[in-house]
Amino acid sequence: MHSRFKSVLVVCALIVAVLGSSIGLTSAQDIKVLHTAYLPGDVILDPSLATWNNEIQIINQTYPGLTTFDENTVEIQPGLATDWSVSDDGLTYTFNLMHDVPWVTYDASAGEVVQIMDESGAPRVVTAQDVVYGVTRTFDPATGSQYAGVLAPWIVGGEAALAGEATELGVAAVDDYTLTFTSPKAASFLPMIYGMWMSRPEPQWAIEEYGDAWTEAGSYPSYGAFALKEWEHDVQVTLVKNPFWPATETLPEPKLDEVVFTYLEEPAMLAAYEAGELDWIPTIPLSDLPRLQAQYPDDLHIGPDTCTYYYGFNTEIAPTDNVHMRRALSMAIDRATIVQITAGGQIPAGFFTRPDVAAGPSQEDYPDLAIHSDVDGAKAELQAYLDETGQTLEDIPSITLMHNTSSAHATIAQAVQQMWKDTLGIDVQISAQDAQTYNETLRRDAPNVWRLGWCYDYPDANSFINDVYRTKGPDSNNHTGWGTDEFYALLDEAGVTEDVAARTELYAQAEYMLVNESAAIAPIYYYTSQQMTKPSVERSYAVNRIERLDKWDIAQ
Amino acid sequence: MGQYAVRRFLYLLMVLLVVSAITFFIMHQIPGGPFSTEKKLNPTVLQNLNQKYHLDDPLPTQYADYMVDIFIPRVTSQEKVFSVTDDYLVNINLPLVDDAALRWINFGPSYKSPTLSVNDIVRDHLPVSAQLGVLALLVAMIIGIPLGILAALRKNTTVDYISMGTAILGVSVPVIVLGPTLKYIFAVELGWVPTSGWGDFDQMILPAFALGFAQSALLARLTRASLLQVLNEDYIRTAYAKGLRQRRVVIVHAMKNAMIPVMTIIGPLFAALITGTFVTERVFGIPGLGSYFVTSITNRDYSVIMGTTLIFAFFIVVANFLVDLTYAWLDPRIRLS
Repeated sequence: MHSRFKSVLVVCALIVAVLGSSIGLTSAQDIKVLHTAYLPGDVILDPSLATWNNEIQIINQTYPGLTTFDENTVEIQPGLATDWSVSDDGLTYTFNLMHDVPWVTYDASAGEVVQIMDESGAPRVVTAQDVVYGVTRTFDPATGSQYAGVLAPWIVGGEAALAGEATELGVAAVDDYTLTFTSPKAASFLPMIYGMWMSRPEPQWAIEEYGDAWTEAGSYPSYGAFALKEWEHDVQVTLVKNPFWPATETLPEPKLDEVVFTYLEEPAMLAAYEAGELDWIPTIPLSDLPRLQAQYPDDLHIGPDTCTYYYGFNTEIAPTDNVHMRRALSMAIDRATIVQITAGGQIPAGFFTRPDVAAGPSQEDYPDLAIHSDVDGAKAELQAYLDETGQTLEDIPSITLMHNTSSAHATIAQAVQQMWKDTLGIDVQISAQDAQTYNETLRRDAPNVWRLGWCYDYPDANSFINDVYRTKGPDSNNHTGWGTDEFYALLDEAGVTEDVAARTELYAQAEYMLVNESAAIAPIYYYTSQQMTKPSVERSYAVNRIERLDKWDIAQ
Repeated sequence: MGQYAVRRFLYLLMVLLVVSAITFFIMHQIPGGPFSTEKKLNPTVLQNLNQKYHLDDPLPTQYADYMVDIFIPRVTSQEKVFSVTDDYLVNINLPLVDDAALRWINFGPSYKSPTLSVNDIVRDHLPVSAQLGVLALLVAMIIGIPLGILAALRKNTTVDYISMGTAILGVSVPVIVLGPTLKYIFAVELGWVPTSGWGDFDQMILPAFALGFAQSALLARLTRASLLQVLNEDYIRTAYAKGLRQRRVVIVHAMKNAMIPVMTIIGPLFAALITGTFVTERVFGIPGLGSYFVTSITNRDYSVIMGTTLIFAFFIVVANFLVDLTYAWLDPRIRLS
């Protein structure tokens, strides 16, 4: 008994000691460290393999692209390339790279970022050959790059290289600092595409030396404003300022010394934020939004996101094969009510393409082209359907509305079901599948109506309407079965047009066909981002949600 | 005993083979695959990925290759360059032979994190889960077993009702409620401990308690029921008749037998706790293996599904083996043969 009592005492003493020590430790902060969080799911720091925002956010800081864009206006700006020119046929782009940008890595034993030397002892610098190597590696089938598919149509020999054929790829180093990309077809947004993460310089020597482990902390070379300091997989990533980065106007010298990303679920992120452990959380649990709005009005920011929420129609099965039926269903969705239900400041959508991308038409500028929620219009379209088919309301074939399993999608589906019942008198069946099964279902056997979201890869209207609806069939993202030559011609023309206003006009016409005239899809709302930032952090809010940490600061 | 251990080892291999076969063929029956994302991949890219990971081979071939990589040790040269497809859990440099190593257990690369192998994931996250599991089990035993004994000895008294009330509370308040509540009180409001993370002792207190408390309820109820049954046995009456004190009768004579059903539960419980607990780890932001059991299935990350399942199965079998050994110690009439 005595010994048990003693051990209890020891445990108590330990607890007291630990608590005491954690209170006692208030170290003076002389460096600026930003603490933030990522949702669980480890990042990939290999530029050829990265696929999503968290990864690209880090890669843009460690491996800035040839081009970059303003985080507010999405206007294209110089990146690693100081300037570029295009040939008269619009097919060949020549990029002039910054000179003497050294490759660096974080040396844990020295506790600082150091330059990487080559065999002769001279610092390694980023060259045009590094970019050629990076692009070539992206297209190597053995690399397994998912975004090679996005670049492939815009580089000569891209598709063939992906298929493993021996081919000349349309990227070449003229000299150490001059680079050319050749595209099989002209497009005004090509500088943006060539600035994406799968066409960055890559360190051939390190990849050959370390194999698949080359992106680990300790071996990871980089050249951007930040370098990788520590990386505990799926636990924490720490970036540290790279003192060797030759700052430019568009890619400035960072003011933060370190950025620490900790992987946490949304509720855990919020708890850590409220406990003062984090300075910024990029997302919040939506159920907490009303409380946070009241409690921390200065910290909370509702801003744009990169995605559109929409319902698609299968135009090949009854009754959604009839345009009047589709228009009736789309108009009967009360989008203003839906965004009240989702309660995150989302914006009702009249077009598929978000208005905040380059050449994205807005429903304010093109009110007659956008689709609108309209009860009377919906009833008139339903009547047109009934007249045309000679059916009565009871004859309408049953309609299935499908979504991937999620309580948020289910709530919206039930609201839409009720709207269709109230406005049109049509009953629809709702069914849900887990995400992966759902993706296969859409590909092979799409229901009448389905829910999807689309997020752009690069902030241009082309990455919305063209990348989804320029093709159709099981291998595409277009599950509607809809697509006309006239529509395609508009998209193709918009793709090669240089003038932004003219492009916007063309995309608006194409959107009209997609969402209004043919109503192949019913856009519902534009996603928003909800973030919390401590008032001491001086920051910008990037439209594309890939935050420019190199421009952030912490007031001391 | 030696013969018994050998038999149990063969039994372990058999269980793992059956579990792996069932898991492998069922997971390939679920629609979708690791690369069937919402954004469709370029068909050539998809083909390249399937080729890279041999997902276009016939299923029996894939299964056979996979089993060979896991079970059959091989002697190769020590790899100079790290490759996720060639990462073995066991690497022993062979003496006498230059540049040769015995390499065993390769679970393959993760499709979701293509720069990591499944072994990387296990090496990073299993130790964390194991620490949490051991702590939680300790909490469960320290709270649960004494509570059960107390309830049994004071049967149908206020002490019994309070103990069992606590136990029922533990069973009925899941970690997903208890965890955030504890966190809100002690981390957010009082600020005594960090809200999340793992590594320091103060980060371990709340999760270990939250996870252990629920399990302690189970142990308390089982201990009570089992001890009550034993206390009615003839040999206990004999012990009392010999004039032994109650404390000695309960601790030395009754407890040993009463622990047999408790041990039966503790074995698999231990295996389940140390291989990762999804909810607790997610609530407290603990980088354990638990979430991989769930996310690997939603991601169709086949190799991670196989790896986590086999590791779990391995620990279950080993834990049951240890339980069998303790039976023999608790009750000498049980023979291991």
